[in-house]
Amino acid sequence: MKSLRVFQLTTLALVLVSVVQVGWWLLDQRSYAHQSVAAARTAYAEQAVAAQALIEAGVSPERVTQVLPKILVAGGRAEIAPAVNAALGAEERSRQRQYAWEGAFFLLALGLCIAVIARALRAEARVLEEQDSFLALVSHQFKTPLASLQLSLETLALRAPPPEQARVLIDRMLSDLTRMELMVTQILESARLERGRVDLRCESLQLAGAVGRVVSQLEERARKARVRIAVHVEPQLQVLSDPLALDVVVRNVLENALAALAPVGGGEVTLTARAVSGEVELAVRDSGVGFAPADGARLFQKFTRLHPGGGAGYYGTGLGLFIVRRMMELAHGRVSAHSDGPGQGASFVLAWPAVPGPPA
Amino acid sequence: MSAQGKAPRVLVVEDDPHLAAGVMENLRAEGYEVSAAADGEQALEWLKAETCELIVLDVMLPGIDGFGVCRTLRAQGNSTPVLFLTARGDPADRVRGLESGGDDYLAKPFHLQEFLLRVRAILRRWDWYHSASATAATAIMSFGGNEVDFRVFRARAWNGEAHELTEKEAMILKVLAEHGGQIVSREDLLEKVWGYDVFPSTRTVDNFILRLRKRFERDPANPRHFLTVWGVGYRFLKDGEP
Repeated sequence: MKSLRVFQLTTLALVLVSVVQVGWWLLDQRSYAHQSVAAARTAYAEQAVAAQALIEAGVSPERVTQVLPKILVAGGRAEIAPAVNAALGAEERSRQRQYAWEGAFFLLALGLCIAVIARALRAEARVLEEQDSFLALVSHQFKTPLASLQLSLETLALRAPPPEQARVLIDRMLSDLTRMELMVTQILESARLERGRVDLRCESLQLAGAVGRVVSQLEERARKARVRIAVHVEPQLQVLSDPLALDVVVRNVLENALAALAPVGGGEVTLTARAVSGEVELAVRDSGVGFAPADGARLFQKFTRLHPGGGAGYYGTGLGLFIVRRMMELAHGRVSAHSDGPGQGASFVLAWPAVPGPPA
Repeated sequence: MSAQGKAPRVLVVEDDPHLAAGVMENLRAEGYEVSAAADGEQALEWLKAETCELIVLDVMLPGIDGFGVCRTLRAQGNSTPVLFLTARGDPADRVRGLESGGDDYLAKPFHLQEFLLRVRAILRRWDWYHSASATAATAIMSFGGNEVDFRVFRARAWNGEAHELTEKEAMILKVLAEHGGQIVSREDLLEKVWGYDVFPSTRTVDNFILRLRKRFERDPANPRHFLTVWGVGYRFLKDGEP
């Protein structure tokens, strides 16, 4: 941040010097133009004096006008021709206009430079701030399972517990390690998604197949957590998505539902799909802890946790729903969450572009 | 064991089930009676009906965070000591925790023995405070027209004004009163009231002394009871400086 500050100050100083330089140049040119015209007027005035002297010495006015063409001789008097006077005035005004336009152009260009640099600096500062905040959040997320791991190990070392209690501690440590592994995977995945370094394919996929795969993977865990999963997805529903991304988003939303049911000791999750105006929607409803309606959008931000872990072996990383949102955005789909309030359960709706039907 | 002879009761407020289980098992193994709450609201609800000798409070809780829970408790007049557990261990955060009314602060991940040591230290300090305020003679102290009731953390000042004392103010007052007339160093006050390494600076003690002077001195700029011994600490004179 120190080098950024030095760069900011140096840039600002350079731009200020440039503005002063342009200002000085403007004044100098204006003054120079004025002086040049004044000098020309003086020279013509001297020619008029010389012409007058020639006339008084008996030289014919025609001859004087021939020698000094800018001088007008009328009624025995010599003076600068009005057209010359007007031309000098016009020249002075023209030059001042030119400098004013050029100066304004330079100042505008400098102003644009300042705006571009300031914008780039602000963007850089924002990126650094986001990185700091991300690192702080990541380190915070890691410290809790680390603390649990350390506590279990030190408990084993300090208390030499009987085998059955040691087994509980070992299982806890293994679970903490799994949690940290999941966090690493999700953090890397979310970082890649955020930087747009993910190339998602776009294929026609059977939604029921993806839902069936994910449900079968989580069935055992759901059973242990006393959660019943009901699926109502017609086999003909096809969505446009990446095959891996489809499994990931369905899995993350279903895992979120299991987490919401853990604190209330289980319940039901219903997955219902339907085709609606060019999209295929999958609604995942749970009878879990729910959330305040205003928190619906916040759920999809990184590291948002509205409820405690609760138990039943589930631990949120705070990244699952963020990954869902980004993957749905990349798949040109959408995701939304709704709950009538704490204790009222929740509903998550995933919507993908539907596969266009064959031409009639 | 507490002064009353029964196992001290500890409330563990931690949303991570593994960490909560580990902390609770170890506290039970040390002979404490342990209860648990998974978030701030549950903790506040539990404390409406129950009491305990210590609250082990996670800072990053869903809903009301640990600082908020502690502030709410103090505003309700609940002076149960609080040991904060947090993943953020920077000095600014520590001070924030202690200013919200916490007694100690431990950054995650922590060593089990250090955690148990800190729990014992907090309970020992409170045990001392309750023992030192147990009898009618030691529970109430009168000085310079002021009257302090250490049991209920209340005082009536020389001008008739009633004051609710924070637990730290009451503890400092108790330490000074126990050493009436003697010089007590800032470090001794820190050790006795907060523990060995909780605060980053002894200036905190000075701020608490200023608060006590404002409450109990007739002229806080020219104190007669809470005297500064420059470069060392403080001396409390019950009868006031002649």
